[in-house]
Amino acid sequence: MHKEQAERRDFLPDLMAHLDRIGAGEIVLEAGYGLGMGVPIDAYLEVSDRVRVGSYEECLDQDVVVVLRCPEPGELRRLRPGAVLLSMLHYPTRPDRTALLADLGVRAVSLDAITDRSARRLVENLEAVAWNGVRAAFREIQQRHPHFDHPSRRPLHVTCLGSGGVGSWAAFAATRYGDPQLRESLVASNVPGVEVTVVDFDLTWHEDYMFGRLEQTDLLIDATRRADPSRPVVSNAWLAALPADGVILDLACDPYDLDVVPPVVKGIEGVPHGSLDRYVFPPEDEAYELIDPRIDTTNRRLALSCYSWPGLDPVGSMRTYGEQLEPVLSVVLGKPVEDWGLDGASQVERAVARAEVSRWLSVRTA
Amino acid sequence: MVERAHGLTFGFPTMHKEAGERRDFLPPLIHLLADLGCEVYVESGIGSRMGYLDQEYLSSSRVRVVDEDTAYRQEVVVVLRAPIGKFEKLRRGATLISMLHFPTRPARVRHLEELGIDAVGLDTIEDDEGRRLVVNSKAVAWNGLEAAFAMLERRWPRLTSPARAPVRVTVMGAGEIGKHAVEAATKYGNAERSDLLMRYGVPGVEVVTIGRNLTCDDTYLLGRLSATDVLVDATKRHDASVPLIRNDWLGRLPPHAVICDLVVDPYLLDADPPTVRGIEGIPQGNLDRFTFDVDDPAWDLLPPGIPTDNRRAVVSCYSWPGVHPNRCMELYGKQLAPLLEMLVERGGIAGVRPDGSFHERAFYRGSLRARLRPVPVGELVGTS
Repeated sequence: MHKEQAERRDFLPDLMAHLDRIGAGEIVLEAGYGLGMGVPIDAYLEVSDRVRVGSYEECLDQDVVVVLRCPEPGELRRLRPGAVLLSMLHYPTRPDRTALLADLGVRAVSLDAITDRSARRLVENLEAVAWNGVRAAFREIQQRHPHFDHPSRRPLHVTCLGSGGVGSWAAFAATRYGDPQLRESLVASNVPGVEVTVVDFDLTWHEDYMFGRLEQTDLLIDATRRADPSRPVVSNAWLAALPADGVILDLACDPYDLDVVPPVVKGIEGVPHGSLDRYVFPPEDEAYELIDPRIDTTNRRLALSCYSWPGLDPVGSMRTYGEQLEPVLSVVLGKPVEDWGLDGASQVERAVARAEVSRWLSVRTA
Repeated sequence: MVERAHGLTFGFPTMHKEAGERRDFLPPLIHLLADLGCEVYVESGIGSRMGYLDQEYLSSSRVRVVDEDTAYRQEVVVVLRAPIGKFEKLRRGATLISMLHFPTRPARVRHLEELGIDAVGLDTIEDDEGRRLVVNSKAVAWNGLEAAFAMLERRWPRLTSPARAPVRVTVMGAGEIGKHAVEAATKYGNAERSDLLMRYGVPGVEVVTIGRNLTCDDTYLLGRLSATDVLVDATKRHDASVPLIRNDWLGRLPPHAVICDLVVDPYLLDADPPTVRGIEGIPQGNLDRFTFDVDDPAWDLLPPGIPTDNRRAVVSCYSWPGVHPNRCMELYGKQLAPLLEMLVERGGIAGVRPDGSFHERAFYRGSLRARLRPVPVGELVGTS
């Protein structure tokens, strides 16, 4: 991936072994693949004699291109019409990119759109999103709280917006400070723990309730998955109720994009959009000045936001994604893209077919 | 669809358990196997207690409705709960796929070995990180919370009033079940109920979840109980001989409050060490009966010496997933489908490789074979 410097993730050799098993003709890895995670290229070459090292352009020229985060538009244009691109493409919040892929004739499959019939994602690492984000947030609180590890302090109050896939993991992680070892040491020292309050969309609209809740919140977590991403769940004006030393954790990490219709804004208004290079933003951080001026940033707290929370633990993240991707790749290599059946016998095949861009668009424009 | 020819035969006997146990595997899983080219033998009456007819299982000539013995005589036998007393019906060398709980049932393991059955525990099929692939902890939480809110509505008519404050739920235990309990509680344990109340402008649910570092804080917990409409026990206690909430503390709960027991530990007072329930002095339910109002005679059946002076309405069930058998089996079917597909693809359990694909590795881990041979070196060495 050609992203920020701290983005070190690449798929692990196990996935190449799987590609070999299911009959991939050639597996081209970009020079330097895996090195960011400390995995030498020999580890890939050892698992299959079909693995070879090539340039980035050569990788993009293949029939099937697998890359966790989506390449830039200019790079997408290099893909061959009819090529299959497997990547996190976030169709709903990236309408322009989705249209581009369709126009280019790329048979893109958005990994985040591969879901079963109950809308559960088959390729996800929500657990890592929650744990990595919550761990980072508590580290900031630990640094700033004068009595963090003292038995006399009151329980810490966390408010988690959203109780779905990310939210439920976030609540779990927050009861453990995002760090089981830290939790054990604090329990052993009789330090009061963490009370996590979870509220979902049937309560976040309730202004009176939310003001009261925000006033007693040490850590506010956005783990929402909004039906309407054009409206924030917590407006910047509401953030005035959050204590001055309160911390905001953005796990949803929706972008700001006011130029698409409908526009996309973050769930908590006025929080900067972070990356693996920078994901901690004190109130005085210059990142606030870079936010689109149409976004209200008047009320600021220490905020954490990272587009790729799982990337903080690159090997663990890629081990999980690799395992989840194996059955998906079996479908992709098993039959031509035109033959993937929306009503096929295999649930994975159906899920992959639903996530293919032309089928995804046709359902939504029908 | 291109059908592939495979030699495996599958048997799906029905469970013959308590009256409230209505679950069987659903037609889509049977159809999948038939589409893969397998002969599938289902016991007559399969799914009937969930409203299915035998004919709904008959997608092709490869599916046959047979008696119980014939279903058990196939190469691969799939049945949700362990078929206690029926292991002898399987033939030597057959594969049995069921919730077999190997770690806590050593006698069963020996018996299966003696019978030469290639058993695979649904509850021990795990991915590389130790996560179960066939599991329904979500249903434990959702079904329990659904029952709890139904009980709360009966005892507290204000539940449906737009003028009331948010409902307050306290979830003790933030582990696998507690995690789902949090989500379920924010939706009243039932998405339709949640949608309806939201449509009428009724404030939602505030869910407070606390782990061990607060459940052991008496001062905090007593305060918390007085502000709780639904108390959920989703704990996994380190010491099951001591209750988490003493019966006298239950007096702090509002009179209308409901206790939702998702853990359902038994009372085993004669064991060493003894096991007591996490919330002291509440009855234990099953699929036949799982709601208990404060004047229910079930309280009188608790072991003598267990205090029950402070009572609140309780929902408790030994098998929460079985409350909604269709949903439960739909999920199990979806979880099992890729594993059975792989099994068919590999030509049976003998072809399943411990270092094969994701589903092969997981399936192999769930098998008795994996318990009988040393752990492969590759599993002991991390990738980096």
